[in-house]
Amino acid sequence: MRFHMQNSLIGTSVIRRLNLKAIFPLLGLVFVVLFFGFGTKGLVFSKLSLQSMLNEAVYIFIGAIGYAFVLAQGNFDLSVGSVMGVACMTAAMATKINPYLALPVGIITGSIIGLINAFVIVKAGVMAFITTLAMSFMCTGLILIISNGAVVGAPLFMLKWYTVPLKLGVILTFGIAGFFAFERSYYGKISKAIGSSIEAVRQSGTNIVLFRILPFIILGTIAGLLGFISLIRTGTASSSTGSTLMLNVLNAALLGGIPFSGGTTSKFRSVIIGTLTITIMSTGMTILGTSTVNQQLIKGLVFLVTIALSFDRKNLKVIK
Amino acid sequence: MPVESLLLKAHKINKSFGITRALKDADLELEYGQIHGLIGENGSGKSTLASIIAVIQPADSGEIFLDGQPYKPVDSLEAQRQGICMILQEKGTFDNLSVSRNIFIGKENFFSFGGMINIPRMNAAAQKILEKIHAGHIKAAWPITALSFEDRKLVEVARAMYAEPKVLIADETTTALSRNGREILYRIMRDMKKEGHSVIFISHDLDELINVCDSLTILRDGEYVKTFEKKEFVTSVIRHLMVGREVAGNYYRTDMDSCKNPETVFSMEHVYSQKLRDITFDLRKGEILGLGGLAECGMHEIGNIAFGLIPPDLGIVKAGDDKVVINPVKATSLGIAYLSKNRDTESLMTSANIVDNICLASYKKIQKNLFIWNKDEREFAKAWGKKLEIKMTNIHQYVIELSGGNKQKVALAKWLGFGADVLIMDYPTRGIDIGVKVNIYQLMTELKNQGKSIILISEELPEIIGMSDRIIILKDGRIKGEFSREEKVTECKLVDYMI
Repeated sequence: MRFHMQNSLIGTSVIRRLNLKAIFPLLGLVFVVLFFGFGTKGLVFSKLSLQSMLNEAVYIFIGAIGYAFVLAQGNFDLSVGSVMGVACMTAAMATKINPYLALPVGIITGSIIGLINAFVIVKAGVMAFITTLAMSFMCTGLILIISNGAVVGAPLFMLKWYTVPLKLGVILTFGIAGFFAFERSYYGKISKAIGSSIEAVRQSGTNIVLFRILPFIILGTIAGLLGFISLIRTGTASSSTGSTLMLNVLNAALLGGIPFSGGTTSKFRSVIIGTLTITIMSTGMTILGTSTVNQQLIKGLVFLVTIALSFDRKNLKVIK
Repeated sequence: MPVESLLLKAHKINKSFGITRALKDADLELEYGQIHGLIGENGSGKSTLASIIAVIQPADSGEIFLDGQPYKPVDSLEAQRQGICMILQEKGTFDNLSVSRNIFIGKENFFSFGGMINIPRMNAAAQKILEKIHAGHIKAAWPITALSFEDRKLVEVARAMYAEPKVLIADETTTALSRNGREILYRIMRDMKKEGHSVIFISHDLDELINVCDSLTILRDGEYVKTFEKKEFVTSVIRHLMVGREVAGNYYRTDMDSCKNPETVFSMEHVYSQKLRDITFDLRKGEILGLGGLAECGMHEIGNIAFGLIPPDLGIVKAGDDKVVINPVKATSLGIAYLSKNRDTESLMTSANIVDNICLASYKKIQKNLFIWNKDEREFAKAWGKKLEIKMTNIHQYVIELSGGNKQKVALAKWLGFGADVLIMDYPTRGIDIGVKVNIYQLMTELKNQGKSIILISEELPEIIGMSDRIIILKDGRIKGEFSREEKVTECKLVDYMI
């Protein structure tokens, strides 16, 4: 009897905690909507700012989808922004040969770097933290070497490719594919299970090496695609391309409620909620006249607070 | 007996680990100059009680008196200063240090001068202790790794004896010792007794306790049962009280015939590894093969190798005719499943819900055209959860909230759902209450009747004897004996082969 009582007591407290965690991201979104809605007197939802939000959201959303798979396994990738930068640069160089090479070159660059990350982390057993940090330094160097420190431009007609239907198409395609891959596929199920207990997955007869390698490649490929999108949006590639991506994407995934330690409680809806939150926040701050530099500061602070509130530090293996 | 005339008295000690109550108002009275045995089944709370007395972990409630005075040290070091030392059941030596540094671990200051440790002086002091405990064949300057496991245990004894304890607690120390090593420990215990000091001696070997101890306290399910004086020792009575039921227990298999099917479904041929030496056996269709021995005999490693978790150094692991098991992916594709003895860390995702856990090995079966639908997952989990009668509020309950027995049922449901033909069960009833144990035994019988084969690895002999068609006993990584069910071997006989 006593066993039962204690059992159910623990049960309810765990469930309560989980429910709170599930509702927390939504509250955050509601807060951001209300705060910036009133703060900008509704300007944040005007047509003009919705367009600017869409521009922002393309990057954050598909970046966060890629990131979600990495996070679900309890891993992370600090190189995503600089990979996007390199991909943008190689894509820009490729346009000098043929503008239509930009997309494949950008994507291939991203996936190759993702593959290298994956190989070093999974096969050589170097911590993701170290590997991707080192990779981001290398990518920054690589950008400077390729471009010789200069800003590289793409042919102007390519800017016409960047249309609203394209943006919406990309968001929709990745949204649907991401949802099914994350929530309804073997790959998604196993990825989340790896975050919960890698040993249990291994001992269920699953080839974990393959599953651990894939998310880094997917994220690299997505960063490559983002590099291309950035190129056709701005028409240029420079050493600062992609520098804000990392923070935005990680913020979106975590604010949306994907646990830093990953696991089966990770949900795809977190990516949507998080993207909306961060996008509205960025645009709202811009309208309110916050400079980009200060925005970085505030987002960094939000990131820290999210981690502090949501993460069970006892289980963190990376930051020792 | 009044507290004043007792060396140590532990009164109404309680301790819980999460929802498991390890000790319930447990008592222990220790007289001056007494060798006091502590006995009980696995999970009866012996080690917990002992480690609370040595302040290796705190009690939830209860009081302890030493020499009639309240005894409340803050940690085990202070307990040692007050005269209570414990030799732990687990390995307690540090591989990178010398024998003497292992003995004086944490006490190096005794030999330091200006920040430097005077090694020769430390070695000399350590050698003196080793001589005193009749283990002079161990040299203090040697690295610990140069010693056999038995001698390493003696180094731990030396470490405990250095403090000249009033109470020495030896937790399953003799399991790691040969006859010679045991004699050394017995002699130490007799020496202590002469000086009016006492020993709390924990062992699962009843015959040994009866020979060595002056009195015996029985614990069962964390509760104090009874204390016997030497003249009252009767093996059958003690065993009966220990188990709290008829020892011959009728919840095992009732048939007494071994499996006669000649078809081999799994085999190991001349397998060597770090712990194993020339292991060869086969498993037949519809057979339950029991592997028994001491915890460190290598039987758990056989389970790992059989599932491909560790590659053997030499030898072949085969399923069926010629299909070689090289890793868990291959093993499962050949219909082999493995239930780890480390339930919470290796067979389950405790932070995930029941559905995710049960489906984990079977997604390929559940998926339809590359999609896994929630409804199919739920139905799969429900069906197997029901089959195993898992006590849960619903299938979305988190596994961490379940009791040990129900967790094990979830792990079993995963493999039954997967549909394994060969099931390797490593200590499946570890830390599980009797109700679920019975369920698991019934399930094993059912699987056997369906023509599935089981390798049962267990540290509990009654369960191996009760369930197996054939028993293999291991010692130090080698097969020491094989017995068929018809032989009706006794526990005592198997123990002879184990030690």
